[in-house]
Amino acid sequence: MITVNHLSRVYGETTVVDDVSFSVRPGRTTGFVGANGAGKTTTMRMIMGVLAPSAGEVLWNDAPISAHDRRGFGYMPEERGLYPRSPIGEQLRYFARLHGMSAARAGDRVDELLEHFSLADRADDILDALSLGNQQRVQIAASLVHEPTALVLDEPFSGLDPVAVDSMVDLLSREAADLPLLFSSHQLDLVERLCDDLIVLSGGRVVAAGTVEELRSRGADRYRIEFASNDAAWLRDVRGLDVLDVDGTTALVDLDGLDATELTRLVVERAPVVEVARARPPLSEIFREVTR
Amino acid sequence: MSTTDTSTSTPAWRLVAENEVRTVLRRKSFLITTAISVLVIVVGIIAAGYFADRPQDRTVAVVDDQAAQVVESADQVGRATNDRLTIEVLRVDDAAAAERAVTDGDADAALLTSDPGFEIVGDESVPGEISGPLTSAASTAALQANAAETGVDLAQLEQGTDVPERLLDAGEDGDGLGTATGFVFIILFFLIAISSGMMIAGAVAQEKESRVVEILAATVPIRALLWGKIAGHTVIAVGQVVLYLAAGALGLAVSGIDAGLGRVGGAIAWYVVFFVLGFMALASLWAVAGALASRQQDLQSTTAPAQALLFIPYFAFFFGSSTVQEVVSMAPVVSAMVMPARMAQEAVPLWQTAVAIVGTLVVMVLIIRVAARVYERTLLRTGDKISYREALTMSAD
Repeated sequence: MITVNHLSRVYGETTVVDDVSFSVRPGRTTGFVGANGAGKTTTMRMIMGVLAPSAGEVLWNDAPISAHDRRGFGYMPEERGLYPRSPIGEQLRYFARLHGMSAARAGDRVDELLEHFSLADRADDILDALSLGNQQRVQIAASLVHEPTALVLDEPFSGLDPVAVDSMVDLLSREAADLPLLFSSHQLDLVERLCDDLIVLSGGRVVAAGTVEELRSRGADRYRIEFASNDAAWLRDVRGLDVLDVDGTTALVDLDGLDATELTRLVVERAPVVEVARARPPLSEIFREVTR
Repeated sequence: MSTTDTSTSTPAWRLVAENEVRTVLRRKSFLITTAISVLVIVVGIIAAGYFADRPQDRTVAVVDDQAAQVVESADQVGRATNDRLTIEVLRVDDAAAAERAVTDGDADAALLTSDPGFEIVGDESVPGEISGPLTSAASTAALQANAAETGVDLAQLEQGTDVPERLLDAGEDGDGLGTATGFVFIILFFLIAISSGMMIAGAVAQEKESRVVEILAATVPIRALLWGKIAGHTVIAVGQVVLYLAAGALGLAVSGIDAGLGRVGGAIAWYVVFFVLGFMALASLWAVAGALASRQQDLQSTTAPAQALLFIPYFAFFFGSSTVQEVVSMAPVVSAMVMPARMAQEAVPLWQTAVAIVGTLVVMVLIIRVAARVYERTLLRTGDKISYREALTMSAD
């Protein structure tokens, strides 16, 4: 488990990361979201040790993290980078060995990953000879090549087409199912689809954190009500309800005093009902709310 | 589930070094340049040896026995100082035929009897290598004839005229092999150190430019990256030095002037030692030059200090007085280039060699310590070129 404890980073007068604390648990895909400049990349660089924190610490399994621990991590930096003029197979083997793998194991592992990405026959091509999409695949392979103990991926899906995203998700769920996995993204639909836990950063501070379910159900209890034919506008007059929207026979309401069973009884008594359903706000709305 | 086990695996700096060597050896331009250099060295030495060693067969036209005898003794006189020289006798009928032989080129000169003594006849000039021996032999012959005529005991007369030399500090002087070796040492050192240094700086700058350095720095300590770069490129540079020296030795052996090799052999061994020290002292400076650059174009200015440290001894050796040479040959780091060249040319007192080595070692440690710190602080800083002043005052990050 990666634990970030009161981490801060100050550049001159500017505090880029401000007292950030959270945990990335094994087997939990943790999404790291926030607007540009919220401090995601800076936090990830501090976790990876390429940037020293101004304050706070990073723990690995509850002990201060060491260089040896980090050597086992897989990292994909925001600014992509590999050796442009080296054959991809060779550089992946080099990365695997830098992470501490034996030469023989590194060779097998590189073949396996290139096979997964259908790049096996291009192992001897230099990186620059590959299309951008394939270069991105090699970049992902570089973070997975040593069978990492944890993954820190900064915007891993940016620049990928939907097919490549699926292939990557497939790979991550196979390779990193049991690992602590932290990834940042601004593609909230993807985050919603993939993440178990979520950390929302705004202005260098954690403004929301928890499981996706928790975050989505926090705040008001929201229900969607659809009548068979009657206009839903009468709901505006019901006490204990906060009507957000009425559109013909449907309405979106927040409970404000009434509970769910009372609401159901109330509407069923009044008119034929098609549906009374809990409405989870989409992540994008929560995101807007917490970062406001 | 991890197979990572850093306790038993190859140390990171070695992996980095291996990767550097592999990358350089894959570069076609490097292989071609090295192959051409080897070829130039072997062919150059063989060619030089051929022209220097070619036997000099000279012919002198004579008319009578008396002159023929003089030429024969001139042949012996000449051979005493130049073992490639042979002076042969060409018998002709008369003085006119002798002169014709000289103008036609059948003979290099003619030795004619005149009254009194002899006369050497040349075409446009008398070749230098035979005029000395001929003059000496002819005057001796004339002297002997005069002595016999006047009843003087020549041996008695010559007593004490032979003045031997006694040298208190007999230097190994000869055909300029030492001087030539010194020149080659300096030029070779300069070229390999500059090209390998630029490769180090270029490799570091490329890792920065391509941003791969972020992954590397997140994986292994930055110092391991530095040591690996230094080790890898030292192996390559020393490999080149040894290869070129071997090519030189091969050239000398083929051309038959390997007799001199033993004389400069000691200097060659020292040369390799000094090259390793000098190169390693500067290697970290080249790496820093790469770390300060943010793009390849910045290297021209960031490598200036390292380049200067190679240009100074280079010019000091070729244009400095012997005092300047002596001082530079003992100064830290720059001594690495000049000291072995001096050793090839003259006997250098042991204490001077010791001063050069100890000074270089001490300064090497200092440079590496400062460089490692600067390297750590600047390697991950992208964007602008960083100045040396800025880098030295930069806070730890």
